[in-house]
Formats: sequence, structure tokens, C-alpha cells
Amino acid sequence: MSHTDPMILALRALGEPVGTPRDDDHAQTCAHCRQQLARLSELVDLARSGGPVESLEQPPPAVWDRIAAEVAGDLAAAANGAATGNGTAVIPARMAEPARVDAGHGREESAADAAHGRRSRRARGRLATVLAGVAAGLIIGIGGTAGIVQLTRAPATRVVAQIELSPLPAFPQWQGTTGTAVMRATGSQQLMVVTLHAPQRSGFYEVWLLARNGVSMISLGDLNADQTGTFTLPPGVDLRDYSRIDISLQPFNGSTLHSKTSVVRGSLPAVALGAAPSA
Amino acid sequence: MDRTVDEDVSGAFSKGHPDALALVYERFGSLVYSIAVRALGAKSDAEDVTQQVFVSAWRSRDTFDPGRGTLGGWLVTITRNKIADAMRQRQRESRVLLQVAGGAAVQAPEAPADQVVDRIMLADELAQLPESQRLVMVLAFYSDLTHGQIAQVLGLPLGTVKSHIRRSLQRLRSRLEADGVAY
Repeated sequence: MSHTDPMILALRALGEPVGTPRDDDHAQTCAHCRQQLARLSELVDLARSGGPVESLEQPPPAVWDRIAAEVAGDLAAAANGAATGNGTAVIPARMAEPARVDAGHGREESAADAAHGRRSRRARGRLATVLAGVAAGLIIGIGGTAGIVQLTRAPATRVVAQIELSPLPAFPQWQGTTGTAVMRATGSQQLMVVTLHAPQRSGFYEVWLLARNGVSMISLGDLNADQTGTFTLPPGVDLRDYSRIDISLQPFNGSTLHSKTSVVRGSLPAVALGAAPSA
Repeated sequence: MDRTVDEDVSGAFSKGHPDALALVYERFGSLVYSIAVRALGAKSDAEDVTQQVFVSAWRSRDTFDPGRGTLGGWLVTITRNKIADAMRQRQRESRVLLQVAGGAAVQAPEAPADQVVDRIMLADELAQLPESQRLVMVLAFYSDLTHGQIAQVLGLPLGTVKSHIRRSLQRLRSRLEADGVAY
């Protein structure tokens, strides 16, 4: 008998009751499939233990400066030791700096300008080589410049919450429409990534934050033709008050006010309310 | 086909490119720092540990063997060691303080639980996934949605969601297993 479809094992590890009784029988008797399922289940358990995704924190920029200074010190010492030799010691004119430009990095001003220039060019050449190697891998791997950006700008956003958006009972014409809002925090701002699955209608869909009093609203913006949009939340907005997300269908009538046709709505979970952007 | 950014960074590093350290830091700085913050609490201590980890990694880069494990796993091992050093240092300091103050027994410092480190490593690996795969996995892990509902919510074909789930789970699992190799 062939092994259980890896797809079924993956979904089962996530807790979805998929597959047939035959799969059950097989998974119980086949050591290979049992082990596969156990590996994936362990991963799912790890992910789900102890709440939402762990947030990754970026070290302050000064940490890199200190590392670069210490390593540059090593290299300078090595160069001094080898100064009487044939000069094969590799000295970068300066350490390449990740994702930021550092103005004050002059170390050895006593070095002759010509030599300094030569070293700078060599250092740049090495970085180019390193990056070329990285790029070559990316063409095979995930491809193109997007990957480089992903590498050099470490992922700095984290998901704070996912919010299900659903139609209000008062608007039966929108039953079956769904939406989701994923709230993300970057170092300095909060983003809302909104997707809607609604029928194409005349007009456009607009995303709002709705205050507890049910009256005050902040417009985040309009959804694209594919019914998605990414919006920056106004800095300083009090999400304990503006705790609901609303999507309206707006007619092309020039009015900037909410049309009073709410398509779907959802509430921010408690985890999002106190989510100040991590400084 | 499964060649990754990590492998390229790791290759450049093990070949001793001085500039590779910047790439390594860019890729793994937040992982190391996040583990240190969780373990030590104080950000200044976590910054010191992060600095020590990368300087130490650079100085002992000859001992890193890409054939024996991932660069991420190697750095996490160094991070654990530096955290343990920092905790011993703290313990010494508090013992001295308590002796001065004539206080009671000193509590042994707690090493970061393996599970916490594993969860941070998982978050780091999740962050490396392409955006749409990452969203699918975050929903699969942390919402009660079925794969069918995830497809609906994200507006992706069912087959795409299923293959994202299968491949991402496998990838996360094998990467974490590779990272977990102890030196």
C-alpha cells in the first residue's frame, strides 16, 4: 500500500479532520507515516504553545557599530602584526554596514590617501562578490531583487492580530461576504492589510475605523479593484476607542461620508488594543 | 532548488569574507537579540550579549562547518553560551551584593527554556517565508480557519493554499531540525 498523501498528513497535523478511514488504518500501521505526522504535529504544537507568534526585536543600531568597531580592531591588529610581511593581510577599509549609512567611520586617517582609496575599492569589490553570490543563489531560490531587499532589510514587521470581518445581520444582502484584516506593526507604525470577498457592485469599497460610540469614524482608504488594500493607521489613534473595522460600499456621489451601507465589520481583539508600535 | 538566502550568507561567512559579517548580522541580528531579550530581560544586557555573539562568531568562524549544521543553529548555540555567561556574571554580582547586605541564599539564574528559544526560531523562520506563504501559515497556526476558509479569506485558489501549507510545514520543520543540531 502506498503512503498517506503528505497533504493529508500536513492538514491532520494542523488538526483538520481530512482523509479516509483507509488513511487512518495506514497511519496507524505505517511507521514512516506515523513519524511524519508526529514531526509535523510537534511543529504545530510548538507554534500554538504559549500564544501568538513571538515577536522578533531589532537590536538598536549602536549594537552593530560596536561589533564593527571591535572586529575592525582585530583586523587592524592583524595588519600591524603582518606589516613587515608582503601585505597579504586582508583589511577592509571599513566594515560594510547593514541597512544603514554610518557617517563617522574614519579609523586610520594617517593612512596614505592612495592606499586608502585602493583598500576602499577592494573592500567594495569584495562586497560586490559576496552580493553576487547571494544574488546567484536567489535566482535559483526565491528570485530577483525582492530577495535582496528581504535580506538586506531584515523583516521588521510582525502580525499583531488577524480579524475576521463578517456581514451585519441588518444587511442580509451581504450574507456570504467575508473579509479579513491583518494588523501588523513595524518599528514605527501600524499597518492594516485588508482583503474582502464581496460581489462586484457599482461604487467602491472603503475601509473605516469605527469608534465605540458608533458615530465617530476614521477613513483608512479605499480597497483596490481586487478588493485588497494596505493602510497605515493614523499615528496615535486610540484603538481602545476606535476598536472596530468597517467596510462600506460607497456610491460615486462625491460624498466623503460613510454611505451607511456597511458590508462587513469586525472588532479588534484585546491583543491589538494595547499594541503600541515597538520603538 | 532548495537553496536559500541563509545558505548564501553562510557560505560567504565561512569563506571569511570580512563583509559577510554584516550580512550575517543583518540576517540573524534580530534572532540573537530577541532570544537574549527574552532570556535576560534587560535590553542593555541583551545588547551586550548580541555584540559578544557576533564578535565571537567572527573570531571563531574557522570552527563553523556548514556541512555540520546551519549558521543560524550555530549562532543560537553561541547565544545560549553567552547568555549562560551573562547569568553567571549576574549571579556573582548579586552574591557579592547579598554578602554585603548580609542577605539570604541567592536564587540560581534560569536559563532560557528551550521552548522559548524554539518559538523565537520558529518566528524567525516564519518571517523568512514569502509573504503569501507566511500569511497562510499564520492563519493555519493561529486562527481556527480550515484550509478551505483560509483560501476564501485570502482569495487564493484552494490548491495553492494546500501546497503552501504542506511545503511550508515541511520547510519549517526541516529547517528547525537543522538549526537544532548541537555542536
